Amino acid sequence: MNNNNYFSIQDIAQIGLMVAVIEVSKAALAFLPNIELTSFWLIMFTLYFGWKIIVVVPVFILLEGSIYGMNLWWIMYLYIWPLLVLIAWLFRKNTSAFLWAIISGIFGLCFGALCSIPYIVIGFSTGGFVSGLRAGFVWWIAGIPWDFIHCGGNFILMLVLYKPISLAMSKMGLKQL
Amino acid sequence: MKNNTKKIVIGAVVLVALIAVFALAWTKFGAKPTKGAKNITLVVENSKGEIANYELDTDAEYLRQAMDELGDKGFSYEGTDSEYGLMIEKINGEQAIYATDGAYWSLYVNDEYGQYGADSQPVNDGDKYTWKYELAQ
Repeated sequence: MNNNNYFSIQDIAQIGLMVAVIEVSKAALAFLPNIELTSFWLIMFTLYFGWKIIVVVPVFILLEGSIYGMNLWWIMYLYIWPLLVLIAWLFRKNTSAFLWAIISGIFGLCFGALCSIPYIVIGFSTGGFVSGLRAGFVWWIAGIPWDFIHCGGNFILMLVLYKPISLAMSKMGLKQL
Repeated sequence: MKNNTKKIVIGAVVLVALIAVFALAWTKFGAKPTKGAKNITLVVENSKGEIANYELDTDAEYLRQAMDELGDKGFSYEGTDSEYGLMIEKINGEQAIYATDGAYWSLYVNDEYGQYGADSQPVNDGDKYTWKYELAQ
């Protein structure tokens, strides 16, 4: 049967495995605040599995919401992780571990600022434009020390893991986009 | 190779510049605790609406430290450190975890919804901090 237009069993298995790897890594590092491998895996999976990441991200976000509850942070996930995938795709030709570490570090550093967007919207809806900006700004400022940790963690994890995981991917017959 | 080096240099400069801007913003606009003896009130409103008041003279800079000092006055709390700071899960033995209980402990400062968590909320003289059991909407 020709099923070129549909997901193959292999595609479904790979998508499931990618989500599982992200979830397990996230749970394993949950005891370390703001140190996470989600960013790393989403970048690597974008580079090595191409279009399948378009399915991985919503499945991962839905799974997170069903496990931890769809609170405000879940709204943030709806645009933050797709944005990271878009960034990874734009830089897909890059093979420098150091540049990937910088990209991942900048993403971690800006994570809090990106997360402040819903607070701007909430503040805007209740007290006007200035109130919204103030709410988002205060929230972002309060989390800056955590953003520094996020930045450092992302930078180091990518710097250390990019080459070995790339090697493992190529041994599996996968090529970076 | 030369092009790649250029990208790395640009990326590194952007990263360092952002770190500098963020550090400056934190230094200038970050919450500043006041030092010295401060008298504060901590209020706990549990799921039944019962209220417990705790008075404390403290030098704590952040609320978490003041909450630790209240341990010998019968106040207790438990929580986990997360990427958003300390997540309070249990106060005076009553658990409120969003995922399992459909409720959470929210913090009010002088009766206004707090902007910070327990470990980043500055302690100021005369302030009233209220931990309120709230059901998820």
